[in-house]
Amino acid sequence: MKTTSLKDWRKVYRKLKPMRDASEAEKIQLARSLAATPDERWQIHETFLHSHGLFSHWDRKKSGFKW
Amino acid sequence: MVGMSAAILQGVPATTTDTDFWVDLPERAYVRLMNLVVKQGGTPMAPTMYALADGSLVNFIFSLTGLKEFDQEFVHARRLSWNGMKVRVLPLERIYKSKQAAGREKDIAHLPLIKRVILGRKLATGGVKDDSGGSR
Repeated sequence: MKTTSLKDWRKVYRKLKPMRDASEAEKIQLARSLAATPDERWQIHETFLHSHGLFSHWDRKKSGFKW
Repeated sequence: MVGMSAAILQGVPATTTDTDFWVDLPERAYVRLMNLVVKQGGTPMAPTMYALADGSLVNFIFSLTGLKEFDQEFVHARRLSWNGMKVRVLPLERIYKSKQAAGREKDIAHLPLIKRVILGRKLATGGVKDDSGGSR
């Protein structure tokens, strides 16, 4: 695959159009994830954890998680 | 790098609370890993699991269910640039296989998503028809 980044997600999305077993929202999410660089993918992942107060083990313990 | 962290780096839109590293060491050598992590400010949580200084968790794995030996898998690992480093990650197809073989609920739950990304990547790189089944 040519090197892409998150900003190129629409190009990837167009190629995912034939995917039959996914909703439009799922295709957009998948296109963003596939277009992103590994660093961008990791940033999205960490941002998600931070936004829910789940990034650090210590925060998760406070919320009742084992790990 | 293996497990869902490796899957995320390869485009699986998921999340995980620990990063799994498959190490080419006998399990009894876990003390070496512990010393390494503790020296960097990490805290042991279990014999193979550590909280790093920033609170993120790392888990060391000594063998993976359903896969070949470390050396045989390592040569097929994908090289990715991440955090200014070149890292080796287990390819998605192999992550799928290991999770399928492990068969825990959390592994089984990830299989459809990983499969979808494998298909999506093929479509994105061109020329593969969607054979995932009829539209629903």
